[in-house]
Order: sequence, then structure tokens, then C-alpha cells
Amino acid sequence: MLVLTRKAGESVMIGDDVVVTVLEARGDVIRIGIQAPRDVQVHREEVYKELREANREAASPNDAAVRALTDLLRPANAEPPGD
Amino acid sequence: MSTRTASRPIGAIMSDTELEMPIIDMALPMPGFPAHRQFVLVRLNDEGLLYAFTSVEDPELRFLVAPPEPFFPDYAPEIENEVFAALNTKDPDRLLVMVVITAGVDATTANLLAPIIVDRDTRRAMQVVLTGSNMPVRAIMRKDY
Repeated sequence: MLVLTRKAGESVMIGDDVVVTVLEARGDVIRIGIQAPRDVQVHREEVYKELREANREAASPNDAAVRALTDLLRPANAEPPGD
Repeated sequence: MSTRTASRPIGAIMSDTELEMPIIDMALPMPGFPAHRQFVLVRLNDEGLLYAFTSVEDPELRFLVAPPEPFFPDYAPEIENEVFAALNTKDPDRLLVMVVITAGVDATTANLLAPIIVDRDTRRAMQVVLTGSNMPVRAIMRKDY
């Protein structure tokens, strides 16, 4: 991993068009600003990982699960609930 | 920063059939699926409550998605200007909100933190993280919608 030391107000370039700027350092909290092209996604790492995991879980449900959900969404008067 | 709600009445979505097969381009890929950039929305339910967001590149890949209004009536995500820019949105009223559903054996959940926003005019979409909203990634879907 490349390690650089930067002060508040200083930046790092990643490639030609991503700029990461240290805005403020207060104790162990660092505020950073990121300028990136629209087609570059910027997320907090933990949010990105949680979303990726949720998407993988949601992807390509099997037919039984889809059928169960379709039944669930059927209008109540078409099939009265059993309980 | 100016924001506005993308909540829409369900009637407007149910009567909207124009998005059923046209190809939707992802402005950004869905996290975890970087290779899938084009999808179609396939209606699975006569009432328009359930759709399959299906990859054009790989029809085996599909996500169940639903309009949130019938299930989460209070859900009104605020969409930021960056999203309008990414989707080339001219008219925010033409945005469609879909939540990604995980169909489980015991519980079915919806991802309220990161809905898929579709612009019906530009046919561009992206999964938007509602940063700071504290919305759940796995909200239980009520049966008595």
C-alpha cells in the first residue's frame, strides 16, 4: 500500500481525474472530500460491502421463492388467507 | 443542497407499461455486478406489484424489484442532484423508484437503503445509496399490504 502524509487542505491525485482532499483532521476523525467523474462510484467501504452482499443475496432467486412471493402479493379476495 | 422526493402515487406506476421491455442502461453498475450494464423490467404480477429486473447480458441474473408505495407507504426517498445528473434527468417526476427484494424462506425483505431509480425518459438507472437516511438494507415486507 502506498502511504502518503498529507495536511488539511492538501490532496492526492488518483489517475487523471480523481482528487482526494483532506479537509479536516480532528483527533482520530479525518474528513475527506472526493472529486470523481460521474461514472466512478464513491461509497464508504462498509456501506459498499453491505450493499454488495445484499445484492448478491437478492440476485437470481429460485422459482419456488418467486412463486411464494407472487402468491403473497395476490389480491386478498382472489385467495383468502388460511389463518 | 436541494433535494426533492421521488415518491409517486401507485396509480401512476400501475398504469405505466411502457418500461416493460425497453432496455435500461445502468449509469453505474450495481455493487457486486460490475459487468451487468443493461437490464429490462419484466412484469411478474398483474397488479404491477412485482417485477424482475433482468440482465440483458445474462438473463439468468435477475433481481426481484417492487414499487415501494404499497408496502412502505411512508417511504419517500430524497434524490440528490448528482443522481439527476447521472441519469440525465430532465423531469424528476419521471423517475421511478423500485426497491430490491430478497425472497427468503422465512422472511422477504426489501432494501430501503439503496433503491433502484429509473428515469423513464432517458431509460437510465442506478442503485442509489440514501446516505445518512438510516434506512434498513433488509426491511421485512408486510404481508397485509
